[in-house]
Amino acid sequence: MDSLARSQRGEKLAQVVMWSSAALVSAVFLWMLSDLVTNGLGRVSWEFLTSSPSDSGRAGGIGPIVVSTLLIVSVAMVVAIPIGVGTAVYLAEFTSTESLLGRLVRRSLDVLAGVPSIVFGLFGSAFFCKTLGLGFSILSGGLTLACMVLPILIRSVEVGFREIPDHYRLSAAALGLSRTSTLLHLLLPAAAPGLAVGLVLGIGRAAAETAALIFTSGYVDRTPESVLDSGRALSVHIFDLSMNVPGGTPNAYAAALVLLGLLLLINGAASGLAHRWLGRNIATL
Amino acid sequence: MKRALVVGGILLLAGLTGWLVLPSSAQAKRTKLVLTGSSTVAPLAAEIGKRFEALHPGVRVDVQTGGSSRGIRDAREQVADIGMVSRALKEGEQDLLSFSIARDGVCLIVHQDNPVAALSDAQVVAIYTGQIRNWKEVGGKDAPITVVNKAEGRSTLELFLHHFKLKNSQIEAHVVIGDNEQGVKTVAGNPDALGYVSIGTAEYDATHGVEIKLLPVGGVAASIETVENGTFPLSRPLNLVFRGEPEGVARLFLDYARSEEVQDLVRNQYFVPISRR
Repeated sequence: MDSLARSQRGEKLAQVVMWSSAALVSAVFLWMLSDLVTNGLGRVSWEFLTSSPSDSGRAGGIGPIVVSTLLIVSVAMVVAIPIGVGTAVYLAEFTSTESLLGRLVRRSLDVLAGVPSIVFGLFGSAFFCKTLGLGFSILSGGLTLACMVLPILIRSVEVGFREIPDHYRLSAAALGLSRTSTLLHLLLPAAAPGLAVGLVLGIGRAAAETAALIFTSGYVDRTPESVLDSGRALSVHIFDLSMNVPGGTPNAYAAALVLLGLLLLINGAASGLAHRWLGRNIATL
Repeated sequence: MKRALVVGGILLLAGLTGWLVLPSSAQAKRTKLVLTGSSTVAPLAAEIGKRFEALHPGVRVDVQTGGSSRGIRDAREQVADIGMVSRALKEGEQDLLSFSIARDGVCLIVHQDNPVAALSDAQVVAIYTGQIRNWKEVGGKDAPITVVNKAEGRSTLELFLHHFKLKNSQIEAHVVIGDNEQGVKTVAGNPDALGYVSIGTAEYDATHGVEIKLLPVGGVAASIETVENGTFPLSRPLNLVFRGEPEGVARLFLDYARSEEVQDLVRNQYFVPISRR
């Protein structure tokens, strides 16, 4: 009786601890969000989203900066997705976990995933901007981000493939399907959740990046005419307004709110598309 | 369905490649002027650049940041047409030519609630070298001093070290910061902090409700006015540097940046226009 009461009390305590840690996580997010909304929402308007910044960003809007941000993230994703999915397929389907190359690739990815973004920025600045002669450009920034996002993307997609039960592969083989069509029509759609997670994490990391972009895609706040132009990313703009421009804080709040909204939007779209496109592949077989 | 997707994808890729490889005809005709360097000068240079572009439709002015040291290096290696440097050139940098476009002062800041009204040069040196560690030793309350220093490569740091005849290795800092606004935010958020930032930034923030106080240096009040009349001891030129005698568009830009037509832009950034000699 006594021990039963004690174990119930212990269970209550564990529940309270779990509940409060979960509440703490949401509290941090809600606090940040409410801070951004109270300080920034008043300034966000269609006008703010479309007009060019003036007076170093203290006045005017963020139109060209949103365009540059979207371009940089698109370049990064166009480059990272094929390489990422390809590597993940190789790791999950075509090598055993013990093979030398597989281990080498995995180890390199883990190290790359832990490298601070400023290191990617310096690498991008040295390699893409100088060695390849792309200069300060959206292309340099996007390629640098692609390098940065690859480890996250590959590992999530690989996990997605590993979670597919082996009887899928065995049944496909028994039906005489080639490895390629098994991959295209069966495994890839089944791994869509992994791809969606990778995309969400990757785009999140890419769109929020400052250190890797300030020396690659640069500081120019004009609307880019091509991906060879320099273009300021939203995160760089927020950093500059809050840390370098006196009186820039109000617009920094508004820009941060826009970045957050943009991220939620892109994330929703990315996971939705990954599910829809790949989900349909089975039907068109 | 599937074929349409594949064709669409190929068209998209081809379009993207074309857009990448073939610069538009309008772009080919343009002259591009690239400026890199000091983050203090960059917002001003970008604003001057925008006005300059409006006057010369065929020219594009691209401004990038990274600090004065980068401005020197990029101008020397001709990665940039013009370097931005927020200090006078040093001895080893005389291979470059420099021209001032404005002036800026560096001042010491403390939290608004800090009772200390002034620090002598000797006290500042003692605090930054770790000999004085408590505010009560300089007439303040009994609290440890949080020393805020600038990161290596920042010209504010170099100007500060030069004025107080210090070496960066002697400084015992608790917080190391980069840009000016970051310094202001650090001090405003810590009642026991002592830091130094650009006067323009400090004066703007102090008059806009940020809880900081500007300390005088050598008995001279820190303000844009004392920088302007040359009495404030800790001030610095904001320079554009060139590898050789500037020519063509670069020359035009330099002349424009030093003209009276951009003095309102200089004041908007809380800097002091130079009086032309």
